[in-house]
Amino acid sequence: MRPFCHSGSAALPDDAFIEIHDLHFSRGDRKIFDGLSMCIPRGRITGIMGPSGTGKTTLLKIIGGQVRPDAGQVIVDGKDVCRLSRDELFELRKDIGMLFQSSALFTDLTVYENVAFPLRVHTELPEDSIRDLVLMKLNAVGLRGARDLYPSELSGGMARRVALARAIALDPTLLMYDEPFTGQDPISMGVLVTLIKNLNRALRTTAVVVSHDIHETSSIADKLYIISDGRVIGKGSPEELKQAESAWVQQFMHGSPDGPVPFHYPADDLKFDVLGGSTR
Amino acid sequence: MIALVRALGIRTLDRLASLGDASMMWVIAMFGLPRRGDFALLVRQIYHVGVLSLVIIVLSAFSIGAVIALQFYTQLSRFGAEDAVGLGLALVLLRELGPVVTALLFAGRAGSEITAEIGLMKSTEQLSSMEMMGVDPLHRIVAPRLWAGLLCMPLLAAIFNVVAIYGGSVVAVQWLGSDPGSFWAGMQDAVELWEDVGKGSIKSVVFAVVVTWIAVYQGYDTVPTAEGIGLATTRTVVMSSVMVLALDFLLTLGMYGDFK
Repeated sequence: MRPFCHSGSAALPDDAFIEIHDLHFSRGDRKIFDGLSMCIPRGRITGIMGPSGTGKTTLLKIIGGQVRPDAGQVIVDGKDVCRLSRDELFELRKDIGMLFQSSALFTDLTVYENVAFPLRVHTELPEDSIRDLVLMKLNAVGLRGARDLYPSELSGGMARRVALARAIALDPTLLMYDEPFTGQDPISMGVLVTLIKNLNRALRTTAVVVSHDIHETSSIADKLYIISDGRVIGKGSPEELKQAESAWVQQFMHGSPDGPVPFHYPADDLKFDVLGGSTR
Repeated sequence: MIALVRALGIRTLDRLASLGDASMMWVIAMFGLPRRGDFALLVRQIYHVGVLSLVIIVLSAFSIGAVIALQFYTQLSRFGAEDAVGLGLALVLLRELGPVVTALLFAGRAGSEITAEIGLMKSTEQLSSMEMMGVDPLHRIVAPRLWAGLLCMPLLAAIFNVVAIYGGSVVAVQWLGSDPGSFWAGMQDAVELWEDVGKGSIKSVVFAVVVTWIAVYQGYDTVPTAEGIGLATTRTVVMSSVMVLALDFLLTLGMYGDFK
């Protein structure tokens, strides 16, 4: 029997699409994850939030099997990602779409060719069908007219929308969005929020949204996780988190500079640093 | 002392791990099953690493052939042996300079391009995004470049030899007035298909494998920063050049090494 996600909310007893158990991961001496566990429900939108540098992007890469954790278990759609062979991993990823923070468009291809790339590689569709699909995806992100431009001719926000069109080209079962709202104007932001919501509602796509934008993420997410210091410090529906009593959660949800969540990267005392105690 | 041994050990282990990674990359990329669209990718890379290298190969070959002919003629004419210019020119080019200089030029032009291109793809997360789309970059990006290098370098070396011999003939025959019959006949008599052309071609193939392998691995393994890409590109040219020269000695020793 498939395990269930216990979100703390009675409204979300869905079965799990992604399960992470006791994840440990370090970069050099710095611990990124220290026993992190979470459960992403199938067919829902899950937001992952947390201060900069807490490893949100790394978490997406671990879920996609691009980064191997030091310890712990990552199960995606019933498959243990850390135990998959190279070929099995590439097979699994055909069903995953990921929007990268840097867009990661292929710079030698036009916008049209970028979106057509996964369709050409993974399907046997005739060119007419590929064209229709590409234009529909580009239309969804409002960039059908930019199909002949190269990535170098796009603004950061436009590049991200093209990357989103490419990520949804194959209608994947799992969509991971890494900071989808960064650099968007208010109109594009509204369209993106609606698009992510519609994709989830229409196709029952499981979505993982990593973002700092509390308002936008809360407005579409069924479930939120807040991570800090390598652990989950809060989880639940957006409403539950807004009401949460935890000082950690409250500080993050309200964007307060003071509180238990550190704003500063670990360092010596300022007085010690400034008054010559430090050599650099 | 212990710290020194430890540092040396760590460095050695790092190098061995890199060599292991590079070997795995080469094997996976070279022996993956061909898929739809692979031929188009290969043709594109042949154009990039082969066709675009033609200008530098042809210009260098002509100059080198001309210089060798000039030097040979100057020295040999002191003994009245200027008829041997063609023979010497052909042997030097086919056995040594053709494969070696082509490999060095290839490393400088195509090798550095391959490293910089793959390094930039890595730093802009294009390789990561490809992986997340279920497309293996080793198959899509690395394999066509390795095969293109392997196919192109022996051909470029052959073109180098032909153009260099022509450059030598222009200097020796048309400019300095050597007898054309002796020039070409000496060459024809001395050059053997296997000993000179065959063994020279083997060198070219070995250099092709080494240079493209280094170039691709340096790009794939680069630290994804501007400085990292710069260093990786430099390492490609330096490591390829040193390896080509060292291997040339070993191959010459192995193939022509009856020096007792």
